Amino acid sequence: MQNAVSQPKAGESYLLWFIKIVSGLLIIVILFIHFVVNHYLAPEGLLSHAEVVAYYRNYPIVPIMEGFFLVCVVSHSLIGTRSILLDLNPKKAVMRVIDALLVVIGLAATGYGIWLLFAVINWGA
Amino acid sequence: MENPEKKPNTRGIWDWFDPRGRNVGGWGFIINRISAIGLTVYLYLHLVMLGKLAQGPEAYDSFIAFAKQPLILFGEMLVIIGGIYHGLNGVRIALNSFGVGVSTQKQLLYGVLGLTVIGTLIFGWRMLLAH
Repeated sequence: MQNAVSQPKAGESYLLWFIKIVSGLLIIVILFIHFVVNHYLAPEGLLSHAEVVAYYRNYPIVPIMEGFFLVCVVSHSLIGTRSILLDLNPKKAVMRVIDALLVVIGLAATGYGIWLLFAVINWGA
Repeated sequence: MENPEKKPNTRGIWDWFDPRGRNVGGWGFIINRISAIGLTVYLYLHLVMLGKLAQGPEAYDSFIAFAKQPLILFGEMLVIIGGIYHGLNGVRIALNSFGVGVSTQKQLLYGVLGLTVIGTLIFGWRMLLAH
Protein backbone atom coordinates (compact mmCIF):
# COMPACT_ATOMS: atom_id res chain seq x y z
CA MET A 1 0.00 0.00 0.00
CA GLN A 2 1.60 3.19 -1.17
CA ASN A 3 2.73 5.66 1.51
CA ALA A 4 0.86 3.66 4.12
CA VAL A 5 3.60 3.54 6.72
CA SER A 6 4.64 7.04 7.71
CA GLN A 7 8.35 7.76 8.02
CA PRO A 8 10.41 10.93 7.87
CA LYS A 9 10.86 11.91 4.24
CA ALA A 10 14.14 13.05 2.69
CA GLY A 11 15.01 16.39 4.29
CA GLU A 12 12.82 15.81 7.35
CA SER A 13 14.40 14.97 10.70
CA TYR A 14 13.12 12.20 12.94
CA LEU A 15 12.48 14.80 15.65
CA LEU A 16 10.20 16.91 13.44
CA TRP A 17 8.39 13.80 12.21
CA PHE A 18 7.87 12.64 15.83
CA ILE A 19 6.59 16.07 16.92
CA LYS A 20 4.17 16.03 13.97
CA ILE A 21 2.77 12.64 15.01
CA VAL A 22 2.50 13.43 18.74
CA SER A 23 1.05 16.94 18.23
CA GLY A 24 -1.46 15.45 15.78
CA LEU A 25 -2.69 12.97 18.37
CA LEU A 26 -2.92 15.68 21.06
CA ILE A 27 -4.87 17.92 18.66
CA ILE A 28 -7.50 15.22 18.14
CA VAL A 29 -8.20 14.99 21.88
CA ILE A 30 -8.23 18.76 22.52
CA LEU A 31 -10.09 19.55 19.29
CA PHE A 32 -12.87 17.17 20.28
CA ILE A 33 -13.30 18.99 23.63
CA HIS A 34 -12.97 22.42 21.94
CA PHE A 35 -15.52 21.50 19.29
CA VAL A 36 -18.09 20.04 21.69
CA VAL A 37 -17.87 22.95 24.15
CA ASN A 38 -17.57 25.84 21.66
CA HIS A 39 -19.89 24.62 18.94
CA TYR A 40 -21.94 21.59 19.99
CA LEU A 41 -23.15 22.76 23.43
CA ALA A 42 -23.53 26.43 22.41
CA PRO A 43 -27.28 27.09 21.89
CA GLU A 44 -26.85 28.57 18.39
CA GLY A 45 -23.68 26.73 17.46
CA LEU A 46 -21.42 29.70 18.24
CA LEU A 47 -20.71 31.52 21.51
CA SER A 48 -21.32 35.27 21.77
CA HIS A 49 -18.57 37.65 22.95
CA ALA A 50 -20.05 37.83 26.48
CA GLU A 51 -20.30 34.04 26.65
CA VAL A 52 -16.69 33.57 25.56
CA VAL A 53 -15.43 36.08 28.17
CA ALA A 54 -17.53 34.48 30.95
CA TYR A 55 -16.46 31.02 29.91
CA TYR A 56 -12.74 31.89 30.01
CA ARG A 57 -13.04 33.65 33.37
CA ASN A 58 -15.21 31.02 35.07
CA TYR A 59 -13.15 28.04 33.93
CA PRO A 60 -9.40 28.92 34.05
CA ILE A 61 -8.56 25.51 32.62
CA VAL A 62 -10.21 26.57 29.35
CA PRO A 63 -7.71 29.31 28.33
CA ILE A 64 -4.85 27.03 29.44
CA MET A 65 -6.23 24.24 27.25
CA GLU A 66 -6.77 26.65 24.34
CA GLY A 67 -3.18 27.92 24.66
CA PHE A 68 -1.83 24.38 24.63
CA PHE A 69 -4.10 23.60 21.67
CA LEU A 70 -2.73 26.64 19.84
CA VAL A 71 0.90 25.52 20.31
CA CYS A 72 0.08 21.98 19.13
CA VAL A 73 -1.96 23.06 16.10
CA VAL A 74 0.52 25.73 14.95
CA SER A 75 3.45 23.29 15.29
CA HIS A 76 1.58 20.51 13.49
CA SER A 77 0.43 22.77 10.66
CA LEU A 78 3.85 24.29 10.05
CA ILE A 79 5.73 20.97 10.18
CA GLY A 80 3.07 19.57 7.84
CA THR A 81 3.45 22.55 5.51
CA ARG A 82 7.20 21.92 5.49
CA SER A 83 6.59 18.27 4.53
CA ILE A 84 4.42 19.40 1.62
CA LEU A 85 6.98 21.97 0.49
CA LEU A 86 9.61 19.20 0.50
CA ASP A 87 7.51 17.56 -2.27
CA LEU A 88 8.56 20.48 -4.48
CA ASN A 89 12.21 19.39 -4.09
CA PRO A 90 13.55 22.82 -3.11
CA LYS A 91 17.28 23.52 -3.01
CA LYS A 92 18.89 23.44 0.43
CA ALA A 93 19.42 27.21 0.46
CA VAL A 94 15.73 27.77 -0.35
CA MET A 95 14.74 25.28 2.34
CA ARG A 96 16.79 27.22 4.90
CA VAL A 97 14.84 30.38 4.05
CA ILE A 98 11.55 28.46 4.24
CA ASP A 99 12.55 27.02 7.63
CA ALA A 100 13.31 30.50 8.95
CA LEU A 101 9.99 31.81 7.61
CA LEU A 102 8.06 28.94 9.19
CA VAL A 103 9.72 29.58 12.56
CA VAL A 104 8.82 33.29 12.35
CA ILE A 105 5.21 32.46 11.37
CA GLY A 106 4.98 29.94 14.22
CA LEU A 107 6.31 32.35 16.83
CA ALA A 108 4.09 35.18 15.54
CA ALA A 109 0.94 33.04 15.47
CA THR A 110 1.61 31.64 18.94
CA GLY A 111 2.43 35.06 20.39
CA TYR A 112 -0.67 36.58 18.79
CA GLY A 113 -2.88 33.74 20.07
CA ILE A 114 -1.59 34.01 23.63
CA TRP A 115 -2.00 37.80 23.56
CA LEU A 116 -5.58 37.23 22.38
CA LEU A 117 -6.29 34.81 25.23
CA PHE A 118 -5.19 37.45 27.76
CA ALA A 119 -7.18 40.12 25.94
CA VAL A 120 -10.34 38.02 26.31
CA ILE A 121 -9.68 37.14 29.96
CA ASN A 122 -9.02 40.81 30.82
CA TRP A 123 -11.86 42.23 28.71
CA GLY A 124 -13.55 45.07 30.59
CA ALA A 125 -11.37 44.56 33.67
CA MET B 1 19.21 13.23 12.09
CA GLU B 2 17.61 13.09 8.64
CA ASN B 3 16.27 10.04 6.88
CA PRO B 4 18.53 9.72 3.82
CA GLU B 5 17.06 6.49 2.46
CA LYS B 6 13.78 7.74 1.06
CA LYS B 7 14.17 9.29 -2.38
CA PRO B 8 12.38 12.60 -2.99
CA ASN B 9 9.28 12.68 -5.13
CA THR B 10 10.67 13.86 -8.49
CA ARG B 11 7.36 15.08 -9.93
CA GLY B 12 6.57 17.39 -7.05
CA ILE B 13 2.95 18.03 -6.11
CA TRP B 14 1.77 16.90 -9.58
CA ASP B 15 2.48 13.39 -8.40
CA TRP B 16 -0.48 13.77 -6.02
CA PHE B 17 -2.92 14.03 -8.93
CA ASP B 18 -1.46 11.30 -11.11
CA PRO B 19 -3.90 8.35 -10.97
CA ARG B 20 -1.49 5.95 -12.69
CA GLY B 21 -0.54 3.07 -10.42
CA ARG B 22 -2.30 4.70 -7.49
CA ASN B 23 -3.92 2.30 -5.02
CA VAL B 24 -6.39 2.94 -2.20
CA GLY B 25 -3.66 3.90 0.27
CA GLY B 26 -2.20 6.33 -2.24
CA TRP B 27 -5.54 8.09 -2.60
CA GLY B 28 -5.83 8.14 1.21
CA PHE B 29 -2.48 9.91 1.29
CA ILE B 30 -3.51 12.45 -1.35
CA ILE B 31 -6.78 13.29 0.41
CA ASN B 32 -4.78 13.65 3.62
CA ARG B 33 -2.50 16.21 1.95
CA ILE B 34 -5.35 18.19 0.39
CA SER B 35 -7.29 18.24 3.67
CA ALA B 36 -4.08 19.36 5.44
CA ILE B 37 -3.72 22.37 3.13
CA GLY B 38 -7.38 23.31 3.57
CA LEU B 39 -7.23 22.99 7.35
CA THR B 40 -4.02 25.04 7.53
CA VAL B 41 -5.62 27.88 5.55
CA TYR B 42 -8.69 27.64 7.79
CA LEU B 43 -6.56 27.68 10.96
CA TYR B 44 -4.91 31.00 10.16
CA LEU B 45 -8.19 32.55 8.93
CA HIS B 46 -9.78 31.35 12.18
CA LEU B 47 -7.00 33.00 14.21
CA VAL B 48 -7.45 36.28 12.33
CA MET B 49 -11.23 36.12 12.80
CA LEU B 50 -10.84 35.47 16.53
CA GLY B 51 -8.97 38.79 16.71
CA LYS B 52 -12.46 40.34 16.65
CA LEU B 53 -12.78 39.18 20.28
CA ALA B 54 -10.20 41.81 21.22
CA GLN B 55 -12.20 44.50 19.36
CA GLY B 56 -15.26 44.06 21.56
CA PRO B 57 -18.79 42.65 21.49
CA GLU B 58 -20.04 44.67 18.49
CA ALA B 59 -17.22 43.55 16.20
CA TYR B 60 -17.30 39.91 17.31
CA ASP B 61 -21.07 39.42 17.53
CA SER B 62 -21.65 41.05 14.14
CA PHE B 63 -19.07 38.70 12.65
CA ILE B 64 -20.88 35.73 14.26
CA ALA B 65 -24.11 36.91 12.61
CA PHE B 66 -22.27 37.24 9.29
CA ALA B 67 -20.85 33.71 9.72
CA LYS B 68 -24.35 32.22 9.58
CA GLN B 69 -24.61 32.83 5.82
CA PRO B 70 -25.10 29.71 3.67
CA LEU B 71 -21.76 30.13 1.87
CA ILE B 72 -19.84 30.23 5.14
CA LEU B 73 -21.84 27.31 6.52
CA PHE B 74 -20.87 25.37 3.39
CA GLY B 75 -17.21 26.23 4.07
CA GLU B 76 -17.61 25.11 7.67
CA MET B 77 -19.07 21.83 6.44
CA LEU B 78 -15.91 21.30 4.35
CA VAL B 79 -13.83 22.01 7.48
CA ILE B 80 -15.82 19.38 9.39
CA ILE B 81 -15.29 16.80 6.63
CA GLY B 82 -11.60 17.64 6.26
CA GLY B 83 -11.01 17.75 10.01
CA ILE B 84 -12.65 14.42 10.78
CA TYR B 85 -10.94 12.68 7.86
CA HIS B 86 -7.51 14.19 8.56
CA GLY B 87 -7.75 13.39 12.28
CA LEU B 88 -8.90 9.81 11.89
CA ASN B 89 -6.48 9.11 9.04
CA GLY B 90 -3.74 10.63 11.19
CA VAL B 91 -4.53 8.07 13.90
CA ARG B 92 -4.29 5.31 11.28
CA ILE B 93 -0.93 6.65 10.08
CA ALA B 94 0.36 6.99 13.65
CA LEU B 95 -0.66 3.41 14.46
CA ASN B 96 0.99 2.13 11.29
CA SER B 97 4.12 4.17 12.04
CA PHE B 98 4.55 2.28 15.28
CA GLY B 99 3.87 -1.08 13.63
CA VAL B 100 0.22 -1.40 14.74
CA GLY B 101 -2.39 -2.55 12.21
CA VAL B 102 0.02 -2.55 9.26
CA SER B 103 -1.49 -5.71 7.78
CA THR B 104 -5.03 -4.28 8.01
CA GLN B 105 -4.26 -0.73 6.89
CA LYS B 106 -6.56 -0.91 3.87
CA GLN B 107 -9.51 -1.95 6.04
CA LEU B 108 -8.57 0.78 8.52
CA LEU B 109 -8.68 3.34 5.71
CA TYR B 110 -12.18 2.19 4.74
CA GLY B 111 -13.10 2.50 8.42
CA VAL B 112 -11.73 6.06 8.44
CA LEU B 113 -13.88 6.93 5.41
CA GLY B 114 -16.97 5.39 7.00
CA LEU B 115 -16.46 7.20 10.30
CA THR B 116 -15.88 10.45 8.39
CA VAL B 117 -19.28 10.10 6.76
CA ILE B 118 -20.98 9.30 10.11
CA GLY B 119 -19.16 12.12 11.96
CA THR B 120 -19.98 14.59 9.20
CA LEU B 121 -23.67 13.68 9.35
CA ILE B 122 -23.78 14.07 13.15
CA PHE B 123 -21.86 17.37 13.42
CA GLY B 124 -23.16 18.74 10.10
CA TRP B 125 -26.76 18.03 11.04
CA ARG B 126 -26.23 19.67 14.43
CA MET B 127 -24.64 22.72 12.78
CA LEU B 128 -27.48 23.15 10.27
CA LEU B 129 -30.11 22.71 12.99
CA ALA B 130 -28.38 25.27 15.21
CA HIS B 131 -28.67 27.87 12.44
